[in-house]
Amino acid sequence: MPTLVLMDVSLSMTRPVSLDGSEEFQRKNLAVHGLNMLFEHMASNYRLEFTALMAFSSLWELLVSFTRDYNALQEALSNLEDYDKTCIESALQGVSNVVQQEWGSACPCQVVLVTDGSLGIGKGSLRHSLQTMKHRGDDKKFPLPFPFPTKLYIMCVANADELQMTDAMDNLEELLHLSGGDGQIFTIEGPLCMKGVQAMFGRLIDYAYSPFHAVLHCGNLSSDVQVFPRPEPVVVDDEVEPMPRAVSTDLEIVGFIEIADISSPPVISRHLVLPIAVNKEVDEVGTGATDELEEEPSASQMAGKNPNFCVLLHGSLKVEGMVALVQLGPEWYGMLYSQADSKKKSNLMMSLFDPGSGPLPWLGNISHLGPISEAAENPYGEDDSKSPFPVQPQVKRSYAQNVTVWIKASGLQTDVQKILRNARKLPDKTQTFYKELNRLRKAALAFGFSELLKVVADLLERECTMLPDSAHPDAAFQLSHAAQQLKLASTGESQHADFDHNIVPMHTDFSS
Amino acid sequence: MKMFSVSHKTVFVVDHCPYMSESSRQQVECDVLTKTRAQGVIPLAPVSKSLWTCAVECSMEYCRILYDIYPKDKLVNYIVSDSEFHILNTWKREEQGTHELMSGLASVGPPNPHEDPECCSILHGLFAAVESLCIITELQHERRAALMDTAERVANRGRIICLTNAKSDTSVRMLEDYVQETILEQNKVAASSDRRMAIQQCELVLLHIYPQGEDTLVSDRPKKEISPLLTSEVHSVRAGRHLATKLNILVQQHFDLASTTITNIPMKEEQHANTSANYDVELLHHKDAHLEFIKSGDLHMAGTSTRENTLKETVTLKWCTPRTNSIGGNELHYCTGAYRISPTDVNSRPSSCLTNFLLNGRSVLLEQPRKSGSKVISHMLSSHGGEIFLHVLNSNRSTLEDPPSISEGCGGRVTDYRITDFGEFMRENRLTPVSEYFIDSFEKLPVERAKAQLERHTRYWPMIISQTTIFNMQAVVPLANLIVKETLTEEDVLTCQKTVYNLVDMERKNDPLPISTVGSRGKGPKRDEQYRIMWNELETLVKTHAAASDRHQRVLDCITACRSKPPEEEERKKRGRKREDREDRAEKNGSKETDDKGWQDSERLKGLIDKEDQESEVIKDSPDSPEPLNKKPRLSTEEVQPPERAKGPVSLLTMWTNRITVANSRKHQEFVGRASSVNNKFELYQHLKDENGMDVHENGKASR
Repeated sequence: MPTLVLMDVSLSMTRPVSLDGSEEFQRKNLAVHGLNMLFEHMASNYRLEFTALMAFSSLWELLVSFTRDYNALQEALSNLEDYDKTCIESALQGVSNVVQQEWGSACPCQVVLVTDGSLGIGKGSLRHSLQTMKHRGDDKKFPLPFPFPTKLYIMCVANADELQMTDAMDNLEELLHLSGGDGQIFTIEGPLCMKGVQAMFGRLIDYAYSPFHAVLHCGNLSSDVQVFPRPEPVVVDDEVEPMPRAVSTDLEIVGFIEIADISSPPVISRHLVLPIAVNKEVDEVGTGATDELEEEPSASQMAGKNPNFCVLLHGSLKVEGMVALVQLGPEWYGMLYSQADSKKKSNLMMSLFDPGSGPLPWLGNISHLGPISEAAENPYGEDDSKSPFPVQPQVKRSYAQNVTVWIKASGLQTDVQKILRNARKLPDKTQTFYKELNRLRKAALAFGFSELLKVVADLLERECTMLPDSAHPDAAFQLSHAAQQLKLASTGESQHADFDHNIVPMHTDFSS
Repeated sequence: MKMFSVSHKTVFVVDHCPYMSESSRQQVECDVLTKTRAQGVIPLAPVSKSLWTCAVECSMEYCRILYDIYPKDKLVNYIVSDSEFHILNTWKREEQGTHELMSGLASVGPPNPHEDPECCSILHGLFAAVESLCIITELQHERRAALMDTAERVANRGRIICLTNAKSDTSVRMLEDYVQETILEQNKVAASSDRRMAIQQCELVLLHIYPQGEDTLVSDRPKKEISPLLTSEVHSVRAGRHLATKLNILVQQHFDLASTTITNIPMKEEQHANTSANYDVELLHHKDAHLEFIKSGDLHMAGTSTRENTLKETVTLKWCTPRTNSIGGNELHYCTGAYRISPTDVNSRPSSCLTNFLLNGRSVLLEQPRKSGSKVISHMLSSHGGEIFLHVLNSNRSTLEDPPSISEGCGGRVTDYRITDFGEFMRENRLTPVSEYFIDSFEKLPVERAKAQLERHTRYWPMIISQTTIFNMQAVVPLANLIVKETLTEEDVLTCQKTVYNLVDMERKNDPLPISTVGSRGKGPKRDEQYRIMWNELETLVKTHAAASDRHQRVLDCITACRSKPPEEEERKKRGRKREDREDRAEKNGSKETDDKGWQDSERLKGLIDKEDQESEVIKDSPDSPEPLNKKPRLSTEEVQPPERAKGPVSLLTMWTNRITVANSRKHQEFVGRASSVNNKFELYQHLKDENGMDVHENGKASR
């Protein structure tokens, strides 16, 4: 989930923070300090995250486009200049464009808005934007909610009291609400100082940028892993099950399936599964725990030399062309597979299915998948020539079962022509003739279309009179028999118009 | 769409009054004569469908699309109304399906034009519809049972689609009022029943059908709220094509569907088999398949065309001829959604060509036409088990691009993973659907049993080749495959024992073992040391399963009984060295010989024990060794008896245990307590009583 940092560089950010005795800071300095801390954290613990930096005042500028180069981001932070007034709406419009251009509209994105809580004045101020947003045309719509799923974090270099004195807090809350409500507003607790801003960014890191650590199990084999990006909790049906479901930190493999059998399943998200060295410290999510991945080179080299289950699993999945089904929680599954980025690089990847026991109709209920050893005979065959998948649905879909639809005249005409074509080839086509005839009869009865039955009966009788001399004598018998049966059915009398009844060929014997 | 939105329950109420038997006045030419046979034949008059036939076939088309796209838990209840109501099916899952409904319709038959119109009314049907909406469905029941204390989260909503011929706007209003009253009335009834639920929301869709060429007496009206419980909308439609279009639009609205037209499908012409023309096929599916287009505002760019009175919107996607060799496909596409489809014109030739192509197992990639030249594959059509799905493929930049390779991370430097063995392990742990029939609610779910199997199979599973000996040996395979089983048969035990004997045999012949020499210089461990490692490993493997059953235990016993014992191993070591001496004589010196001799002597002193299967080699290699006591192998615990009860010759294990006990006892002085115990019991702290004559507990401190 990429991050876009939106930094307020309006003049109000240059307001000094009065500190007794010590050096004088601007709010901007505090904000930059906090962001540096965030970038440092990400560089060491969340380094696969793509982050962009955008500065805004009345205009906006993309300083660093999406990158994993955190030095470049910090470098850009140190070169910020000061501009005029705050104009959040246009900046958000910019965010919307930049993100969509880079990631499209389906990729969830985190937006970190850093401001001082003075949200502009007059036209272009947030207050003005919010007041006028309901009275605008489609072409000038307020940019929120973004088309992509958004988590909006508003970092205020101000304390809550200060924001509540004006309507700034209300406006920011409304902004968060408009973005979809997913996110949080952070303020500085206590006086504005380095410590305060550190604490505030620390809370953001804990909330949104702590790495997701889990243990991948396959029976007694296991490996500590980081799942990146963090899997987000999912709400299945906000009415029946309003509590979001979170991925368990114990990922349990339940078995294996061929790639051809799982066959490009739909997934809600994809994650890298990165094996990690077992941590000495117990504290995993604390703000201070920054150097887990930055151990001394010797230690990481050691880790490289110790066999790890993920590497074994990845290698075998790749070679065999299989995926591992993994349980993420109660009635929630995903799959592990080898994903190749290029010929040389490949990785263990995890995709999450929709929560529930039946996310893929062609696998059936995943909770009802059992080991092949318990089946009476190997469902894959002794030579792997068979497969128990895909699971067939009980009822065929309309396109797989030759349904009768006469909404368009052509549908009806085709069906009548089919009968006539076969009628002319009697007695060779007796079976097909009666099959088509019965199909038409069934549909006509269901649709209450008795007139059609009469017309087709007439057509068959006419065919009978037009039979060439060379025709087999049976043809005439069958045609008049069929015509008579259709006429009987058209009366609607229950003994002749039974839906499940089939007209059977007349029994004739020309052998003697 | 929520699980229990109004779309969960749809009731069709179709008017079966005499008026409906009137002709729709839309004529269909049945007698399409082929040119060659046309001479002299007077074509038959065209047929026309009745209003009833139009209503029924259009509603069935609605149901067909619905069942194709939502085969489960979007339910239809079909009711026909004349002088009374006829309910053709229930909410039960097995009564859902077009075939079931058609059968019911056939039994009702067309309306009787001679019935007294005064007795007939759509109201009977509407009453039954409301009553039916109160009846709880299987899904509602299941979810209520599952949610227990939060059962109120299961809502009861529904939709009534009424196809009738109304007299006027006033009579429409009358129908709406009647439904509203009935809901209130039925909700009261529902309150007192377990099998019923009060209706929380009902959507009434009234379709006024009138013959072609007539003017309508009823005006269209968009959805309006009659009460918090009921909304109503009125559509006045001419029978025939217009009704079909209307219901097609409604089914899309009601079930969040959207339309995609696949263009440029090459198809062989019926007449000229060697030429092909390009066709278009329109498919319906859940609208989320277009989510990306809608969000990015790309809908128009993607080629939306408006057809048929500008009512219909469809997104155009271009067919990409699949590569001929990629049938089925072993490629794992990054797919963000898969939605069932239903062709709008199911039995047209282009539609059935496309669906048959897909049902035969081919997949087709679809390209999004863009103004700029770049080609973007955005969707894929593919069938799974006789169902066709429109897959949405991700066409955006990935946030996971350029990840560090797995070889750069933990364990990445290790090169001797047992990749092939784990592949074999994965094949053995593949999954298969277990039929409902075999799922016992008291037993573990199949998936739990699959996990249990993984647990058993991995109790001892070294990940790298250099960590294991036994898994590099073909000879161990039969045992290793069997021991992980939950239960063993007698035959399995026998196979395992044979494996063990075979290993013993190998050891006797001093066959080389595939011991890894990684990390050790030169030749690696000596051969007898290798066997010791192998036996230890085998024992470790089997020990993890020994507790599973007596039979598993017997395999372990067999190993413990058969494997070399440490002192003997020493002897073996000696013998092994002797052999090596013989092999390369030059290198050995006398001092070692004497050392060995010492061992040999002490060994002789220790008793008359040897393993029965050493016989030949023992005799050949070291003539001083005694004859084995028992010729018959004794392998199972059953034969281990306490010495006092043993009548016949003592078992090998007993002798061994005794010897160890004796040997151990020499190494330390016996505890006083144990030496002077009575029945193996000895009273502790006797001296306290003797000295104070007081209870230990009370005087614990004082005595200190």
